[in-house]
Amino acid sequence: MARPRRVERKPALAVAVTVVFFAWLYLPILAVALFSLNDKKSLSRFSGFSLRWYDELVHNSALIDSLVASLEIASVATAGSLVLGTMLALGLERVTSRRGRVIGAVTLLPLVTPEIVTGVAALLLFTGVGLKLSMGTVILAEITFSIAYVTVIVRGRLAGVSREVEEAARDLGCTPFQAVRLVTLPTLVPALVGAGLLVFALVFDDFVLAFFTTGVDPQPLPVRVYSSIRFGVSPAINAIGTLMLLASALLIVAALVLPRLLGRGTSSLDLITGGRR
Amino acid sequence: MAAEARAEARAEARTPRSAQRTWLWGALLALPTAWMVTFFVFAMAIVVLLSFGRTTNDGFPAFATSTANYRALWNDVYLELFVRSLLYALATVVIAVLIAYPVAYAIALHGGRYKNALIAAIVVPFFASYLIRMYAWKALLSDDGLVNSGLRKTGLSDGVTFLNTPWAVIGGLVYGFVVFMILPIYASLERLDVSLIEAGKDLYHGPVRTFFAVTLPATRAGLYGGVLLVFLPALGDFVSAQLLGGANTFMLGNLVQQQFNEGQNWPLGSALTVALMAALTVLMVVYLRATSTEAREA
Repeated sequence: MARPRRVERKPALAVAVTVVFFAWLYLPILAVALFSLNDKKSLSRFSGFSLRWYDELVHNSALIDSLVASLEIASVATAGSLVLGTMLALGLERVTSRRGRVIGAVTLLPLVTPEIVTGVAALLLFTGVGLKLSMGTVILAEITFSIAYVTVIVRGRLAGVSREVEEAARDLGCTPFQAVRLVTLPTLVPALVGAGLLVFALVFDDFVLAFFTTGVDPQPLPVRVYSSIRFGVSPAINAIGTLMLLASALLIVAALVLPRLLGRGTSSLDLITGGRR
Repeated sequence: MAAEARAEARAEARTPRSAQRTWLWGALLALPTAWMVTFFVFAMAIVVLLSFGRTTNDGFPAFATSTANYRALWNDVYLELFVRSLLYALATVVIAVLIAYPVAYAIALHGGRYKNALIAAIVVPFFASYLIRMYAWKALLSDDGLVNSGLRKTGLSDGVTFLNTPWAVIGGLVYGFVVFMILPIYASLERLDVSLIEAGKDLYHGPVRTFFAVTLPATRAGLYGGVLLVFLPALGDFVSAQLLGGANTFMLGNLVQQQFNEGQNWPLGSALTVALMAALTVLMVVYLRATSTEAREA
């Protein structure tokens, strides 16, 4: 880890691009947050501090319904994809046959399929079998999309757990099921917390899948926000947007940090960036 | 007695253990596999089937065996849209590389102890609401947005129409997906042995030649991965074009979305979806072939 890194002097161009990049990344978001606190309707002149747009949100019952719906969708989808994704990760880690590799590849497909395609496919499946579009159909689609994330993160952690520990538990008299439950699962807790938070944030914010699979009422929050954005920009959207950004930023930060605090080893960040040595 | 019995039971269990184990792991795989087959593979199959379908007289989609939907795709309007989507996605990839490589390079090789914090500072906003980030651009670039009011105040211009231009849409796509370029390039730069660069400098003289002769080839895998990860979602996107563009900048995704939400021609929408997937698959296979041969030759 601590390898002397005497590289050439700082490359001015790369550093300059990085500085501009960070400004470009944060400027639009900060502008949204700033003008959500404006006391006038203008999105270009800040005339005074006010919470009136937030007050407006709190009294918008349709919006609150959407928020509650999105929280429910994200909770159920997170629980479902954690269970299925962990089962899949455990199974794939140990079944090394050709069949296992095929299953592994299929489950990763949603990660490389454009979301619009997954959305269309889910819509056709649900209407084809006669399911009424509702929060339930959104949840089914979101679970399908999220399983891959859980599987990838949990497998990353599993790879670091030596299988001898499980063997030892078996030698001490555990049934295979007990060995998994008492030995393997506890070591997965940090990965599960990280994956759960990440999936919750992704599902809560997900627009495309929800857009294709939702019923009319209640609409998930991103779908409702999208229909108002289409008609233009307004400080009220700035307010809800600021809250959504803050909420998911907190979740993502927690997803990056908590696994590290809970146990040494890989966090989601390491997996995202290809791991640290 | 009890200990003896346990030892016996254990000895017994030892022989069929591998069988038992396979059974357990197989059982664990069954449910998620059934789920993915139902909700992903089977769902995709329905899209393909319906792409050969038709719309009944009372406006409902129905399965059939006609190629009319695919023939309907072959007209100037759709072809232009198809080419435009490809061009936008390619432009997005090129701009993303030009931004991502220097950023990843600066952070990986000169980030020092702030490396992880800087990467987190990039990752956090990118995984937070894509929709709100697109909205942020719309608010910033709109005719009475911050940029235009700044231009007017400084007297540089009476206002520029940014929205509804191709560059607004491409800018939105880059803003949306550039993180998928930064992360793999960063990962491969992290793994790069710095002594290679030092050796390169002794050999080739000058940082520029060293970069092209040593650093870039050594991080090719990350670069190739990033190109794929940006191209795929960019080609299928419809939110950027919907919010930042107009009818003249519509992409394939918008057309698909229209068929399912406004036009209500689901069979045609299915054919468009299949065409999109087919194009992506062909491009991916060609790309992976080309990059893996090149990697082997290197």
